[in-house]
Amino acid sequence: MFESFAHVPAYPLVFPIFWGAFAVFLLVVMRHARVWVEVTPTEPRALRNVARRVGGLIEYSLLQVRMFTEPNVAVMHFGLFLGSTILLIGNINFVTGGLPEFILGYPLNGAIWAFLLGLQNVMAVAALVATAYATYRRIVVKPKRLISTKVHYQTLAFIALVVSTEFVAQWFEAAAFGSINGAFVSNFFGGLLAGLGHDATNAAFVVLWWAHVFVLAAFLIFIPHNKHFHVYTTFVNVWLRKLAPRGQLPAMDLEREDATFGLRTLADLPWKDVFDGFTCTECGRCTSQCPANRTGKTLDPRALIMGIRRMSEAAEAGIDLVPNGPIVQETYGLVDSKPKQELLLAPIVGNAISYDSVWDCVTCGACVEACPVTIEHVDKIVGLRRNLVLEDSKFPNELTPAFRGMESVGNPWGQPPSARLDWTKGLPFEVRTAEAVKRAGQLDQLEVLYWVGCAAAFDDRNRRVARAVATCLDAAGISFAVLGQEETCSGDPARRMGNEYVFQMLATQNIETLNKYGIAERTIITACPHCFNTIGNEYSQLGGKFHIRHHSEFLAELVRKGRLRIGADGMPQRTITYHDSCYLARYNGVMEPPRDILGAIPGVKLVEMTDNHRQTMCCGGGGGRMWMDENRGNTRINAARTEQALATDAGTVATACPFCMVMLRDGIAEAGRGADTADPIISADISELLADALAPAPAIPDRDAPEGRRLTVL
Amino acid sequence: MRILVMTKPVPDPAANAERLGPDLRLDRAASPTVVNGNDEYGLEAALQLVEAHGGEVAILTMAPASGVETMRKALAMGALRGVLVSDDALAGADIPTTIRVLAAAAAIQEWDLLLGGLDTSDGAGGAVTAGVAARLGLPLLSAAAHIEPDEAARTVRVKRLSAKGYDLLEAPMPAVVSCTQALGTPRYPSLKGIMAARTRQITTLSLADLGADLAPADRQWPSRVLAVEPPPSRAAGRTVTGDPASQAREIADYLADRRII
Repeated sequence: MFESFAHVPAYPLVFPIFWGAFAVFLLVVMRHARVWVEVTPTEPRALRNVARRVGGLIEYSLLQVRMFTEPNVAVMHFGLFLGSTILLIGNINFVTGGLPEFILGYPLNGAIWAFLLGLQNVMAVAALVATAYATYRRIVVKPKRLISTKVHYQTLAFIALVVSTEFVAQWFEAAAFGSINGAFVSNFFGGLLAGLGHDATNAAFVVLWWAHVFVLAAFLIFIPHNKHFHVYTTFVNVWLRKLAPRGQLPAMDLEREDATFGLRTLADLPWKDVFDGFTCTECGRCTSQCPANRTGKTLDPRALIMGIRRMSEAAEAGIDLVPNGPIVQETYGLVDSKPKQELLLAPIVGNAISYDSVWDCVTCGACVEACPVTIEHVDKIVGLRRNLVLEDSKFPNELTPAFRGMESVGNPWGQPPSARLDWTKGLPFEVRTAEAVKRAGQLDQLEVLYWVGCAAAFDDRNRRVARAVATCLDAAGISFAVLGQEETCSGDPARRMGNEYVFQMLATQNIETLNKYGIAERTIITACPHCFNTIGNEYSQLGGKFHIRHHSEFLAELVRKGRLRIGADGMPQRTITYHDSCYLARYNGVMEPPRDILGAIPGVKLVEMTDNHRQTMCCGGGGGRMWMDENRGNTRINAARTEQALATDAGTVATACPFCMVMLRDGIAEAGRGADTADPIISADISELLADALAPAPAIPDRDAPEGRRLTVL
Repeated sequence: MRILVMTKPVPDPAANAERLGPDLRLDRAASPTVVNGNDEYGLEAALQLVEAHGGEVAILTMAPASGVETMRKALAMGALRGVLVSDDALAGADIPTTIRVLAAAAAIQEWDLLLGGLDTSDGAGGAVTAGVAARLGLPLLSAAAHIEPDEAARTVRVKRLSAKGYDLLEAPMPAVVSCTQALGTPRYPSLKGIMAARTRQITTLSLADLGADLAPADRQWPSRVLAVEPPPSRAAGRTVTGDPASQAREIADYLADRRII
């Protein structure tokens, strides 16, 4: 029996030691789970979209694609990940009396097992090198995003010990008992050590072998108490991740009178959100990408996630590792298997995150994008805002006029709806309202509805963008209409500021208006990424299904198809840097069309800022921050982003979002490069640059859709 | 302490859509309706007072039946019940009638303080709250910037806005206070408040409940609106150009000419 371990004295003691530790491991996990089952159940996602979930597992857990923003770290982590996984084979062999070896040792005369032993030797070296590099990074390099406390060094020490005791034991085994088939590295060192004599090498082998078992057992008990737990939880977390569009906040039923609105306490969190805390590796990628944190605000997405875990673990107080059996619990009333109510009802704001930090968030999603283990930070922060707004009416004072404006006059600036079409004044063509088109009986000829958005309707600077968009549509001969006074705010700011009530009010009204003109059968285009995201990704929660495209996509297509012709002169020697909007690039993957438009203008040279495409940096205007004062931190977010733009030496900063436009224009002005300075940097929407570059058009006789593209009458 | 606040539904000034119909009365369909600004400041002050001293806030409105919707907004802020005086015979009521009706309705409620706006943003008569006090024969503390009751002494002190600062007034309760913006920003109702407001009681009273002689028969008001004209458009502003020093001099001269500085 246990022939593989014939050289190990008292081998069977492995079973109580390892499996005893394994039982403790399970009990600790079960104790965590006793809290998870008491918080809010997550809607069942586990068995939906299995193909996408398997794909995610491969992408995030096995290939770990998110790690490759830092290739050296990705390679290091692969060393640890593959090392641990491959060495697991050997460890399973140790603790099962040689079961894998028994199975894999027979075929091909033991070649498979020999190969695996060789592979384990290689991976042991890789894991040790990776551990050394990880330790070097923590002690010498000290990357800003890492926090290094005792537990982080303990983890590294455990890995080093677990791998090295096993590995070196094998050297001495080879030295004492002769070469091991396949373990070529150990055989090499064994050859060197053989000179010490059988007794010495045998003793060293026995000591190291048993040391390995004890370290392994201790490591197993250590793991579920700290961030190293991620080695198991990641797989579950990635499997259960949100598959709805990233820009779709959780739906909310406002009619449930008994419900807690939003997230207030630990118990209000869906269990997957608590589980996020147990998946967090404390790597700090989220925080290092957070624009609020980068500009000195207290918001720290990692701290929020770690705080949630801390609260969940605190709620385990009083739960015994091995709770009393049901009979004891019932007979003596000794219930020690449930978390205490007061701990479950501990508020999140004040424990895991400060009140100010909740409002610092621009909902840009940089944290979510950066997280290698698919933790969802933004949905939680908006959940906290929902509770503060809907239940306590607690929010920064500046938001009151925005809320009231959206509620009473349908826009956060509190402007009269009658001014919604002021931007069309003086245009050389007519901008028709959907109502006028319907009255004229021409709805069937309507190609697109241009959703103007409040910023382009009321903000002086953005009105020029609306004019440019309309000019491009007119030049391409597109039959389009606007809603005019019937349009209201899409609800994005209200929703992201936590005011779900106003969001649903506005969204419901807009869905009704759009359906009145059969817009669900047509295309909506908008120059606002926030309206774009909300109408496209969120209105479906309220029954509105619309096909909406951002103006950059639509205009790029018109240019590509030749419906918009750019003049041969172009813009000679114009260097432009394009600023990706979060809700366009990160949330909706629209990154190339704006660049295609700019690239199609002769003479334009495109340069990129440090943070671009999906890794773009927010302008500071998202998540309702457009209407809040920014006086915390050491600098403003738009100033930090402007700095990146200025560093490119581009003369023009192109935007594709009305908020980005305002934020960057102000940032440029504050940096002393505004329009009225000697050396101005121009901020312009891509549609404005395109409109400027258009070839003088031959008069377009008819704006109606050409035959064959007409849409059916509803 | 019981506080009754008079809240008038008015066209939302932000919508800039207020207009009169062909009968020269307010076209209520043209604009969204909100609680009159100065009334809302009074309501906020009332809510803060009961939060500090205990008691309850109720609201009193004279409006068409649709006024209930606007009253719900006030209830959502925290008022516990509402009284709506609504009667076809009151359509287009003038100021004296409004005063008589509101005073009669207030007289059958129990309260220590009656609050109302200094004026309303639609009618801008600026007489109703004062008129109600006169009609009830109670002290009026006008243009309040701060209200501080002393329950033990059964008195109330009010800081009254004046051209040069504040006057400090005191009167025995019950008393009537007319309210201004200086009382502070009204709270934004929470969803819980909005939901609670749905079930709060609004008692509707007709003219018959108060005494039919309060309003003239056949709606023949002594005063009538004859015509409505938009304000003349503003002349273009004057732009000051030149170097900063000469700009400053020009602006200073302009202000000095008009004895502003």
